[in-house]
Amino acid sequence: MKVFILTLFLSLSVFAQSSEVSNYLKTLNSEVLKQDPTFQGFNSKRGEVIFTSKHIGKKGKEISCVSCHGNDLSKKGENFFTGKDIDPLSPSVNAERLSSLKSVKKWLRRNFKDVYNREGTAKEKGDVLAYISSK
Amino acid sequence: MNKLILISLLVVGSLYAGIFDSSKKRGVAPATDEFYIKECASCHFAYQPGLLPERSWVKLMEDLENHFDTDASLEPEDNQKILKYLVENSAEKFTNYKRSKKINRSIRANETPIAVTDTRYFIKKHREIRKDLIIQKEVKSLSNCMACHKTADKGSYSERDIDIPNYGRWDD
Repeated sequence: MKVFILTLFLSLSVFAQSSEVSNYLKTLNSEVLKQDPTFQGFNSKRGEVIFTSKHIGKKGKEISCVSCHGNDLSKKGENFFTGKDIDPLSPSVNAERLSSLKSVKKWLRRNFKDVYNREGTAKEKGDVLAYISSK
Repeated sequence: MNKLILISLLVVGSLYAGIFDSSKKRGVAPATDEFYIKECASCHFAYQPGLLPERSWVKLMEDLENHFDTDASLEPEDNQKILKYLVENSAEKFTNYKRSKKINRSIRANETPIAVTDTRYFIKKHREIRKDLIIQKEVKSLSNCMACHKTADKGSYSERDIDIPNYGRWDD
């Protein structure tokens, strides 16, 4: 019984956290709709292009998200500059991913700056989140 | 009489303890703050706060948006939390640790380095390392302590724990 309650509690808390992120996606979606009333929703294919295309980043070197996270998001990555291991980005193998809104916002802010040398737009953020969720 | 012996033993014992306490600990105090480790060590080695003096940590934490040319910005309250930990455990507070003391002493009063690798003591200790051993993919840069100092995460940088990839042990 105790285990049952614990499981219930854990699954509820995971559910609560990921709903925080899905609410954020809804907010991003309405932001895009304000700019473009014909917008058809976020798209993991566009997200993949954002994730894999190379740009001159903040350090002045040509990098993409793949430079650190790798091509296979179910495997661990490695920071391109420091060599530090990065846990897999795919939520299907790493339950922590896309579970905390604070963390999602922090990394989108930082990593768009590092790779694109600017903030991501609402559409780009939504697309790249759709890509990561699909992996 | 027994009491007297006991008391003298206690006195002598505590004197020794006092000497050991203030006498040399070899490395730096290990990093223990879980929030600091979680936030900072997601991108790089969890440098011990005792590797730099207070003014260096203050300067570094003022501009995390341009942190060695990457964006490492944090929410203001999280920045404050980490800064507090770094300042409370900075090099000047751990003069009983050999490395903290030596690094801190090597920095001139008018300098505020924000990288351990920019301190005179660090530069002196690493100046004989061949460049190809540093830039090789297993190491990348001198900032990657753990690549060669196998016990750096425990605050120990002693020579016997050095193992340079594709080179091996280091004898000074």
